[in-house]
Amino acid sequence: MQNRPVIVAVGRTKFGEHYGKEPEKLIEEAWLAASNECNLERKNLEACYMSDCFLPITNKLGLEEGFLSELTELHVPMEVTRSFSAALKTACHAIQAGVYSTVLVGGIEKMTDRWDKIRDDLMLLEDPWSYYAGGTTEANHELMLRAYIKKYGINNENLDKLYNALAQVTIKNHANGAKNPYAQFQRKISLESVLGSRKAANKALGLFDYAPVSDGAAALILTSEEVAKKMGASPVYVYSCNSATDYLDYSARDELSHFIATEFAMKKALQTSKLAPWDIKLWEINDQSTMMEMVSLEDLGYCPAGTAWKSIAESCPNAKGCYVVDGKELYVNMDGGLKADGNPLGATGGAQIYEIYRQLTGKADQRQVNVDGAAPKYGGVLEFEGFGTKAYVNIFGRE
Amino acid sequence: LSSEPIERRVSFLGDRLRASRCQICGKEYFEIRDYCGKCGRKSYGKMDNIDLFYEKGKLELCTLIDEPTNKFSKLERFVYGMVSFHDGKVRVPARITDQLLNKGDIDLASLEGREVTPRFRRRYSVGKSEVVPTISLAFTLADEYYPHQEYKVIQPTKDYDLPGIVGYGVYSSRFRIKDGGIERAVPFIDEDSVTAAVEAGKLALIHSGLDSSWVGKVYAGSESNPYAVKPIAAKVAQVLQLGEQDGDLQGVDAVDTEFACKAASSMFKDACALVSYPRSGIDYAMVIGADNSQAAPRGCPGGELDAFVGYGGAAYLFGKKDVIAEVEGWYSCTSDTPDFWRRDGEPYPMHGGRFTGDPAYHKHVRKAASKLMEKCNMKASDFAYFVPHQPNPSFPVRIAKDLGFKDEQFMPAIQMTKFGNTYSGASLVGLGAILDIAKPDDRILVASYGSGAGSDAYVLRATSQILDKRSRQKVNVKFLAENPFIEYVDYATYRRLKQGM
Repeated sequence: MQNRPVIVAVGRTKFGEHYGKEPEKLIEEAWLAASNECNLERKNLEACYMSDCFLPITNKLGLEEGFLSELTELHVPMEVTRSFSAALKTACHAIQAGVYSTVLVGGIEKMTDRWDKIRDDLMLLEDPWSYYAGGTTEANHELMLRAYIKKYGINNENLDKLYNALAQVTIKNHANGAKNPYAQFQRKISLESVLGSRKAANKALGLFDYAPVSDGAAALILTSEEVAKKMGASPVYVYSCNSATDYLDYSARDELSHFIATEFAMKKALQTSKLAPWDIKLWEINDQSTMMEMVSLEDLGYCPAGTAWKSIAESCPNAKGCYVVDGKELYVNMDGGLKADGNPLGATGGAQIYEIYRQLTGKADQRQVNVDGAAPKYGGVLEFEGFGTKAYVNIFGRE
Repeated sequence: LSSEPIERRVSFLGDRLRASRCQICGKEYFEIRDYCGKCGRKSYGKMDNIDLFYEKGKLELCTLIDEPTNKFSKLERFVYGMVSFHDGKVRVPARITDQLLNKGDIDLASLEGREVTPRFRRRYSVGKSEVVPTISLAFTLADEYYPHQEYKVIQPTKDYDLPGIVGYGVYSSRFRIKDGGIERAVPFIDEDSVTAAVEAGKLALIHSGLDSSWVGKVYAGSESNPYAVKPIAAKVAQVLQLGEQDGDLQGVDAVDTEFACKAASSMFKDACALVSYPRSGIDYAMVIGADNSQAAPRGCPGGELDAFVGYGGAAYLFGKKDVIAEVEGWYSCTSDTPDFWRRDGEPYPMHGGRFTGDPAYHKHVRKAASKLMEKCNMKASDFAYFVPHQPNPSFPVRIAKDLGFKDEQFMPAIQMTKFGNTYSGASLVGLGAILDIAKPDDRILVASYGSGAGSDAYVLRATSQILDKRSRQKVNVKFLAENPFIEYVDYATYRRLKQGM
């Protein structure tokens, strides 16, 4: 019998701009918050898994493990991955295998330290050939949206409806962000400002459709079930950590209007967790853009291909801030998503899991979602590396 | 983030758009692959190397980029998307080039589905001391200024006694400045003398129908090589795959030449001699003259040139089979006359003002042309055409008249009024315009001029093959000069474009 990995505590920093802070200060803050929450001493940690997408580039830091060791005065094994979900996955494997019973999973990014070059870095890492041809990250989102519109023959009033639906995605995420004290943007936005930003950019997607560049850190303590029970903390079980991979070069992919990596990862995640899609009514989706949130609803299997915009348009806005698909409520990005909460790449997944942990344990304050009169039983996280090059689907449950 | 080895690999693949095709399932990949992802191990060694360099693509999807990444910031606004080849079998990311987009709506839908031609261009901006990055992931619409032309290898059939021109290509950009009664070509921001040399060479190969592997030597003459040290000819040889290909090496001799505006014309005789020397093992040699002609801004020292400089070039293939114009004779003269110069490290040339005329241009051209006519026992009336070097609109007219030529003999060759002075390419572009219209047995006198100073004169005689090959060439000098897709720019834009990436 495998050990079940359990999250016993989570911590994070506010996302946004941390001009005066070194990267290590951010991870320290997140780790202290998590360890305070479960009363854990650092000497109890048997290993650390940390993620950062490109601290070696933004902050000229190699061997991030070293500064983590200085910080914690620990000499335990430490490994670095590129995304929080990847770190979690590795940590889960260690717990499941019985190698460790208490580990730290952390994520960090300091993107504003290289604000003037960040778009070049991002695009070059995401897809070098597209970068060489002049591409930008935003251009890929625009192209996918055009591919989607073409594929499903959306035109005339339906096209307006789709653009409006995408606006509702960011309006909802900002409304949620307004209730999240850690969010980078804690204010509501209006339909006019979304449409205005698109008009100013002369594009289908404008400033308000894209997640920002952020600094931030997140951390969680992962233990075996046995240790979690001894600690008496509120446990959230990791049901599945699955991922799938697709080509680096977006233009070389067979499918231009969907992220097939998401489909593969979700399929596997449902198998592992033995859950049906609609058992999970709470999701944190990697909304690098509003388009990405919309397409992901289809890729995860909640809406048939080519219809997510209809479901969004028909159910938003509503007081609960949820999507309604065939009469069923789906809560997405209650922390504001990448759009409002922020997107410090290596820490982004950590913030997503932070939100799921808070929601499942009923501690999400004014953002708390109620499913059948109680806190949700299950929650899912979709995290990407690159433009759908890697998709991670993590499923969490209270029991 | 880049380095010499990365630069080498990206250019090697990207300049030529090298690709692979699986012999088993037919799946195609951009970049060279040793096996097919779909067929796996059994496809190892069964991948055909193909490339998309001469192909026509289709712009499948596009969007507008007006906030480019840092290295593309000088392009300001451009259309970006993806292009497919071979009925969608392979797709590549694509930048649409040669477009000056003004603020306002761009009808992306009208671009999607259009056919496009890959263009060899500078990739993006880099620091002045770095390797100049290039790529062919830039495209233009195939039904506009630069149409797609098929490259078909045709086995030569007829041997000639004398060596001569077997094919040629003239290239100039889509942009012009109209100024002082003449038009001058302006490069797009991602063009330079290297990209013009490659384009001209590509057009010459298409026109000649020669297999690029048959070319044993390439000479590239230019005054505006972006490098003080690193040959343009090497880039041409690699991109056009001249000589026998062996992995990433081309079995060809490539060399840059420099003698102001006669750097290329000087090599005509060397190319002829090389293909005639029985032990050289070289059947064909390519001579290219191309320049993004430099001039200081108006009002600055040397700025007088700014009224005349252009952009473009031409490539000539020499051989002894299927010759379209035999080289019957030549004469060159040289003197140490400093009428025009550019010191190393200086961006713009200086000149001797009024002394660039009589003691320089006229003296040398007159000497070379008249001496050659004397040598060949010919007079002006024996020639159908006279092609003088053309640094401005007046010099070539005066020398032609001095030598006894009539308007109809030399005016068709005066192309500087349409493309500007293309320095090393100037007399070559003029010659191209004449070869476009010459009839069999027409005799042509060419007299180039290079400051510093010297002149090369040649007597050419057109053969019957000049007519046979003409239909292979959509892009000729007239096509470039009278193209409806030419875009005119103002002085400020001209200076900005000329400055490049």
